[in-house]
Amino acid sequence: MSRLALTRADEPMTAARVGIGGPVGSGKTALVERLIPALQTRGIDIAVITNDLVTAEDAERVRRSGLIDPERVSAVEAGACPHTVIREDPTLNIEAADELERRFPGVELILLESGGDNLASTFSRDLTDFWMFVIDVAGGDDIPRKRGPGVIRADLLVINKVDLAPHVGVDLGRMQREATEVRGGRPVLLTNCRRGEGIEAIVDLLEREVLFRK
Amino acid sequence: MFDRSAALALLQLGDSAFPAGGFAFSWGIEGLAADGLLSNRGDLDGVIADHLAQRWASMDRILLRRAWQANDIAAIAAADRLAEATTPSAEMRDGSRRAGRALLGVWVKLSGPLAVSYRARVSADANLGHLAVVQAITGRDAGLGLEAAELVSGWTLITGLVSAAVRLGLIGHIESQRSLATARARLTELLAETPDDDAMPSSFTPFIDIAVSRGPLRHVRMFTT
Ligand SMILES: Nc1nc2c(ncn2[C@@H]2O[C@H](COP(=O)(O)OP(=O)(O)OP(=O)(O)O)[C@@H](O)[C@H]2O)c(=O)[nH]1
Ligand SMILES: [Mg+2]
Repeated sequence: MSRLALTRADEPMTAARVGIGGPVGSGKTALVERLIPALQTRGIDIAVITNDLVTAEDAERVRRSGLIDPERVSAVEAGACPHTVIREDPTLNIEAADELERRFPGVELILLESGGDNLASTFSRDLTDFWMFVIDVAGGDDIPRKRGPGVIRADLLVINKVDLAPHVGVDLGRMQREATEVRGGRPVLLTNCRRGEGIEAIVDLLEREVLFRK
Repeated sequence: MFDRSAALALLQLGDSAFPAGGFAFSWGIEGLAADGLLSNRGDLDGVIADHLAQRWASMDRILLRRAWQANDIAAIAAADRLAEATTPSAEMRDGSRRAGRALLGVWVKLSGPLAVSYRARVSADANLGHLAVVQAITGRDAGLGLEAAELVSGWTLITGLVSAAVRLGLIGHIESQRSLATARARLTELLAETPDDDAMPSSFTPFIDIAVSRGPLRHVRMFTT
């Protein structure tokens, strides 16, 4: 599954590439901002790529966050094609990741935030070793039932903004159950990125499934 | 005689869906539109004509031919450095390198022998990897002739410009076909003339260069160039 596992001894070690996709405003950047310190605390050397759609706002937000060396944050423009740049033609993202690896030889994990998209967006396996799809409870608890390819095929489904559930009339337990069901039992995790809840469980999963550390 | 297999190779390699990141480059279309200098098909056709005659034919095509005729990696790198030196706009240079490196990366994965050896050179030198030069390398790896490689180079520029204009809402899908046909006729004329072997690359597209150069200053920006 992972490029790490397939890396031959004579090839330089490459970083694991982790995609983060999901609808506009679901909390992808908020999750990146939470994952950065959580990964760093565990001693994992990271870099970030953003695929902002119309401005470089997310890249700038992460660069200015003070959480990570701004040089380790690359922005890739998507030419108004958020799907294409992570799936049909991920070459610009691959080049950006290769470039980060060249500039920061010790980097172990590269987070790649896709531009906000719809439920049909998926990452190419040529680009990422692992990808997660972030939806939020405010988008409605029927999102998992719609069985979009993003929801179904992601290695991990993250349901964010759990704090909003009571305000939007969402039964969180049922939403998670249905999500797990449509995903055939593959992982579904709940987060509140505003308060940093549920982040450690994601990092545990990444350490186990992507970095093979546990 | 109609050469089916050559025609099919061109359809594959000149396809706007060829995965080399072309969709993310507008080469000035986005900036010209933002500055109010491009708002309809007439304007677009004018910009494409400028791009083709004042930049592609006299600059990219010349660089491509130089890299094509180069006998070794060092000579290809010399053409590449010429591309760097003759492109005054930093954003144009950067865009050309990003597009070139993406195309090179694809051919490395396709195991193109020249692409593989040139990639090693490009990895070690941040000024190398310009698009026109890489188009020569990958054209050679693909087994194209020089004329076919030039045709793919010109055509992918045209489709990139037109599809950027469609995505920016400047023209519709039917108008886009008219623009492509107009540009195709212009490209045919340009290709009918053969440049001298010792021709030096040059370009004069001030509005396009300024539009691309102003890219980083614009808050709203969807394309790399
Ligand atoms: N209440 C609540 N708000 C959140 C949470 N996570 C993110 N937000 C808010 O949701 C909004 C969108 O968050 P972003 O992280 O920008 O979302 P995004 O998915 O990166 O958005 P795009 O990149 O534009 O698609 C912001 O106002 C966040 O503060 C959460 O867990 N709870
Ligand atoms: Mg974001």
